[in-house]
Amino acid sequence: MTGFVTIFHREIARFLKVIVQTVITPFVSSFLYLLIFGVSLGEQMSTHQGVNYLSFLIPGLMMMGLINNAFQNSSSSIVSSKFSGDLEDLRVAPVTDREIIWAMSLGSLVRGTLVALITYIVGSLFMLYQHGQWLTVAHPLITLFFTVVAGLIFGMIGISVAFWATSFDQLSAFSAFILLPLTYLGGVFLSIEHLHPFWQMVSKFNPLLYLINGLRYGILGVSDVNIWTATLISLLGFLFFYVMAHWSLKKGSFQRW
Amino acid sequence: MILPLEIQNLRKTYKGSAVEAVKGVTFTVNGGEIFGLLGPNGAGKTTIISSITTLEQPTSGTVKVFGVDVCKDPMFTKKQIGVVHQEVINSGFFDVEEILEFHSGYYGLRKNTERIHFLLNKLALYEHRHKKVKQLSGGMKRRLMIAKALVHNPKLLLLDEPTAGVDIRLREDLWVFVRELRNEGMSILLTTHYLEEAEELCDRVGIINLGSLVELGNTKEIIRQYTHKKIRVVMTENVALQTPYLTEVVGKEYFFIVPQNKTLGEFINEVGIPTHLIKDVQIEEGDLEEAFLKLVSSKEVQAPL
Repeated sequence: MTGFVTIFHREIARFLKVIVQTVITPFVSSFLYLLIFGVSLGEQMSTHQGVNYLSFLIPGLMMMGLINNAFQNSSSSIVSSKFSGDLEDLRVAPVTDREIIWAMSLGSLVRGTLVALITYIVGSLFMLYQHGQWLTVAHPLITLFFTVVAGLIFGMIGISVAFWATSFDQLSAFSAFILLPLTYLGGVFLSIEHLHPFWQMVSKFNPLLYLINGLRYGILGVSDVNIWTATLISLLGFLFFYVMAHWSLKKGSFQRW
Repeated sequence: MILPLEIQNLRKTYKGSAVEAVKGVTFTVNGGEIFGLLGPNGAGKTTIISSITTLEQPTSGTVKVFGVDVCKDPMFTKKQIGVVHQEVINSGFFDVEEILEFHSGYYGLRKNTERIHFLLNKLALYEHRHKKVKQLSGGMKRRLMIAKALVHNPKLLLLDEPTAGVDIRLREDLWVFVRELRNEGMSILLTTHYLEEAEELCDRVGIINLGSLVELGNTKEIIRQYTHKKIRVVMTENVALQTPYLTEVVGKEYFFIVPQNKTLGEFINEVGIPTHLIKDVQIEEGDLEEAFLKLVSSKEVQAPL
């Protein structure tokens, strides 16, 4: 248990040491997205699912920040440890794979949640300014559920990718070619109702659609997908990536680059 | 008797490699001894260390730490082991003290400040405890690696080339420290390039070349077995000597190379040196380097190309 607590503590301490990069930068990008899309363009956009565009956008941006930061926290922690060589310490020390996976995913969750929370606060301030009301959370437990599951899933994806990666390039390739398109096409900025029926169907195969809409349902009470389907798919995703992270630790490399 | 380390017929072939990196190595580290594993670069020393720490899985054979197979109960064996890796770890985010605190946590120790401060003092790092690794000198980095390995007070210490890149004074300080650890009851496996270091420190050595152990035994006995004495005899006048031991004559100085097991008396009698004409005698004993070179080069000749 001490091993788990130590790694978790180390993960948090690590991202706090580089807080400009890990928390302040996402804050700036959320702020810009909200300013440009939510406030400026949002006025010209029709309402989405009965809510104004700014409030539609906020949960999407929260989930995007959560996913990206959760993924980056575990993956860059492992990759920088591979680079400096201290990842070997984890293999040599008496800590179990389960402790490593849970501690790192929870570290990812903390950073992701922090960024999501900042996005929520900034978004709410914009809401207050533009619509005269604070953005309230419709279903707090559902919001919490999708935040926790998405943070853990992407922490575990970060672990899996980082253990297999043999260079920084491979890591950024995953971000640029898989994570980014799936996030952008997963309904962060638009409801899939606005897409051609064919693309609507394609979108249903994008697992991120369910996380993004799950959180949107939690906060706004509206969603493109059935909330139970979203819950089930998220739980299956969690189990799949938990097994995947275990497999990566067993078969992937702890060796330094 | 339960030994700190028992390696039985260890073999390792890396994935995608046709060459066996370790070819059936067997040795033990006994309680309270310093055992040296010596060999040229690429001989398989680090692979053996990695198999003990479970960083690598052996292809076959067993590694037991205090009687327990490292593959069967790694959590137990890892707790017994402290390891100093060959390459310096350069953790960029944390300072010296934080690194040691986290490292203690990995071994289940919270609030290990007393031990950490003891080690920082012992290894002359206390004043540098708030520095990042990159701010430390090469020698300090090495000492930090040693401190890390000792935070949990292990019973078996694995030192993989601990003094590489360390200046001579510091090296001697580390030798003193390693001996102290041994005297406190720690068993130590040391790999080194510096044969002088092995001769100075190790009770027993194993010499490894191309993945196989070519010799294993008491350090002094190996030196005795594989080296020669160099004897220089200065005479008061020249004499005619017929002996295969004679290598060179310079004026009245005679140089001989003599097997270690021959005493000076036997040598003088056998060669027939008139003792009343001897002005001075100097004997230079063989060292581990000579034995090592002999063992390693003879094996290389036998190795298939």
